[in-house]
Amino acid sequence: MENYPFSENSINSSIAFRSLLNATSYPGRSFQINKLKKPSVLSNAAATILITLCDNESNVYLTKEYNTEEVRNWLIFNTGAIISNKKNADFVIGTWKSLLPLNEFKTGVPEYPERSATLIIEETKYKKVKCNIDGPGIKNKLNIDLPNPELFIENNNLYPLGLDFYFTNDLEILSIPRSTKINVINSEY
Amino acid sequence: MNEMSKNENIDIQIYNFAYLDENTKRMIRRALLKALCIPGYQVPFSSREMPMPYGWGTGGIQVTSACLIPKDVLKVIDQGADDTTNAVSIRKFFQKTANIAVTEKTSDASLIQTRHRIPETKLKEKQILVYQVPIPEPLRFLEPRETETRKMHALSEYGLMYVKLYEDIAKHGHIETAYAYPVKTNGNYVTDPSPIPKFDNPKMNNSPAIQLFGAGREQRIYAIPPYTNVKSLDFEDYPFEAMKANFKCSICGSSDSYLDEIIVSDDGKRSYICSDTDYCKEQTKLNSKKDDQL
Repeated sequence: MENYPFSENSINSSIAFRSLLNATSYPGRSFQINKLKKPSVLSNAAATILITLCDNESNVYLTKEYNTEEVRNWLIFNTGAIISNKKNADFVIGTWKSLLPLNEFKTGVPEYPERSATLIIEETKYKKVKCNIDGPGIKNKLNIDLPNPELFIENNNLYPLGLDFYFTNDLEILSIPRSTKINVINSEY
Repeated sequence: MNEMSKNENIDIQIYNFAYLDENTKRMIRRALLKALCIPGYQVPFSSREMPMPYGWGTGGIQVTSACLIPKDVLKVIDQGADDTTNAVSIRKFFQKTANIAVTEKTSDASLIQTRHRIPETKLKEKQILVYQVPIPEPLRFLEPRETETRKMHALSEYGLMYVKLYEDIAKHGHIETAYAYPVKTNGNYVTDPSPIPKFDNPKMNNSPAIQLFGAGREQRIYAIPPYTNVKSLDFEDYPFEAMKANFKCSICGSSDSYLDEIIVSDDGKRSYICSDTDYCKEQTKLNSKKDDQL
């Protein structure tokens, strides 16, 4: 039992999902998740998303840094997920730089906009640009730092199609869904 | 194995936490998150058979089951009332399968499952409102083919719905639709608010709470995130109007809550009472406090 990601699977997965639900409902705000047993290269938050949502119907794309035997074995053993390429991926995990360009990921089709990729961005070392975000789930405009805001603006322009993003940082998770509108406030950019 | 021997003396767990198995919950949870990312869009999901018939809230129960956490406080209402058969049995179902706390007070609840009403008490951030939905497709009575309605949503082609509302005005002089009054979510998808009275429609707009919708028989999940623009469809010269019976509640005297009409005698005498039983109780308490002060 001690090797399973969650000590009490059903209870801990529900608590993990509530954090994801809150993060997705209130974009741009950071929510806490709990520790779990996971490969060392993954953050707790990213591992939580994969364990809570993936099953044998999920295509997962791992960028180079995360495509290790440890991660693959852990993911496949615990979820049955399929390790896939960029084009078919439902879930994508990687650092910001290694995820680019974004246009290879699926953004859904007009009849089925939900058939789109969910991107999990690990690390926070990207070049930060101060932005102002607005949209569903955001009460008053929020200021947050984003990498390459033009890509998020482009993504929002595809709405209701588009990619959905989670930024993960150790025990924290923050979402930027396709519905979020982005304004750059850093004039130097 | 350790876990097994530890639990020997405890009752064997008959159900997974909150009834549904983990794989089903994962599928529903993925649908819920995509639904929140695309407000008002109906995400198909493979609805499970639940231990109650379709039409009793199997969609809502599946959404609640996928969302519940042990420290949740659950409230279940049916037409605003906590003590009707449907509400009582769903509440008992989750007490039995998830062993969670329940309440009748809107302000104490962290998750509220509802059939056909939105509570009168204002909802708060992080509260979850789960709607039971019979027909999730607002265009279904106008266009029976799923392939067509799907295309209409994809193209934002909602002319047919406006024609329907216009025909109401042409025939009756006003828009006749009194419940399940269609709304536009985040300026994009026309959405069915479930059969709530149109009196409740404005409460959906810009609500701080998370609104989730589950349709079991029709196998659809959709969502309205907090602080999302929800507009009831109307015309410039016939603006939307939230309506209710123009009376006072005969129990608490409230004139601003939604009222149920009840027939109180054989010769058809009528009386009106709050449909939201919790709100009615709160108002009655407030009134008696005021009386005490006098």
